[in-house]
Amino acid sequence: MHVSPLSWIALTCAIVAAVIMVYYLIYRPPLNARVKALMMLAVGVLPIMTAMIGNLEGLAATEHQAFCGSCHTMDMHIADANDPDSLSLAAIHSRTIKFGDKSCYVCHKDYGMFGYAMTKLGGMGHVYMFLSEFAWYDMEEALPKIHIARPFKNDNCMQCHSTTGRIWNGVADHNGLLEDLRTGTTSCASAGCHGYAHPFSKPDEETPSDVEAHSALEAPSPEGT
Amino acid sequence: MNPRAKVEKFLDNASRSRLMVYACVLGLIGLALMTWSLFDQGWIPVMAAMSVGQGIGTLSFALFLVIVLIDLRQAEFRPSLPPAERMKPIEEQDD
Repeated sequence: MHVSPLSWIALTCAIVAAVIMVYYLIYRPPLNARVKALMMLAVGVLPIMTAMIGNLEGLAATEHQAFCGSCHTMDMHIADANDPDSLSLAAIHSRTIKFGDKSCYVCHKDYGMFGYAMTKLGGMGHVYMFLSEFAWYDMEEALPKIHIARPFKNDNCMQCHSTTGRIWNGVADHNGLLEDLRTGTTSCASAGCHGYAHPFSKPDEETPSDVEAHSALEAPSPEGT
Repeated sequence: MNPRAKVEKFLDNASRSRLMVYACVLGLIGLALMTWSLFDQGWIPVMAAMSVGQGIGTLSFALFLVIVLIDLRQAEFRPSLPPAERMKPIEEQDD
C-alpha cells in the first residue's frame, strides 16, 4: 500500500474535521458565531479539501493495474500481463517502463481531446457490466464471456509505433498493409498479425501460433518503430 | 400548503442544534468513505469515495448552510441610522 504525501494532507484534514465534529456531538456547545466558524471549517472547508485531494488520488488510482485487477474477473489478465515468461502482447508491453504498472490504462485508454472523459465513461460501463452480470460468475464462467467492448484501435498502438520508422516499414507485412493499418481496416492485434493481447482468453483457433508469438520477441528496437 | 410556505415553516421551526448533529453525523460518514479510498485503491473504495462519500459530505454541508440561513432569517439587523433619521428624505439626513 502506497500513501502519497497528498493523501497524508487529505487524511490530516479529515482527522481535524472529525475531531471537531465529534467534539460538537459530545459537548453540544451553543451555536454562537465562534462555534459556527469552527463548524464551517469542520463541515465545509476541511471535507472539501479532503474530497478534492481524494478526487486527484482516486483518478490517478484508476490508471494502475491494482484498480483494474480489483475485479476478480481480471485476475488472469493481470497475472498474464505480469508473468515474466509470458509472450502475450500484454506481457511484452507491461515489461517496459512506459507501460509497467499502468499497462491496462496506457493500452486501453482513448486518446484525443476528450480521451480522458471517454475513458472514464467507458470505465463506468465496465462497472455496470460487472455489477449486473460478471460479479456473480467465477473465473471459469466469466472468461469465455469477457470480450472487448469495441474493436481495439490501431491508433492506440500508433501512439508509440508511429508506422513511419525505417525498421518498422522494413517488415514486409507492415509495408504491404500500411494504409490498412493506419486506417484500422486491419488490426495489429488480430490472429494473423501479432495476435490478441490476452491470448489465453481466446479459443485455441483464434490464438497465434508459437512462431507468430515468438516473432514478436524479434520486434525491431523502439528507435526504429 | 404550497412548497414555499412549507420551506418557510420548516425554517421557522427547525432546531439548529439538531440540524448540526445531523450535519456532523453525515460529515463523519462522508469523511470515512472519502479517506477509505486513500488507503485501499480498489474500485469499490475509489468509486464509493467519489460518489456516495462526496454526496453525503455535500448533504452535510448543505445542512450547515440551512443553519446559517435560519440564523440570517432570525437575525435582527442593526441599521446604521436610527428609525427617525431613516424616514427623512435623503437630502435632509445628517452625515
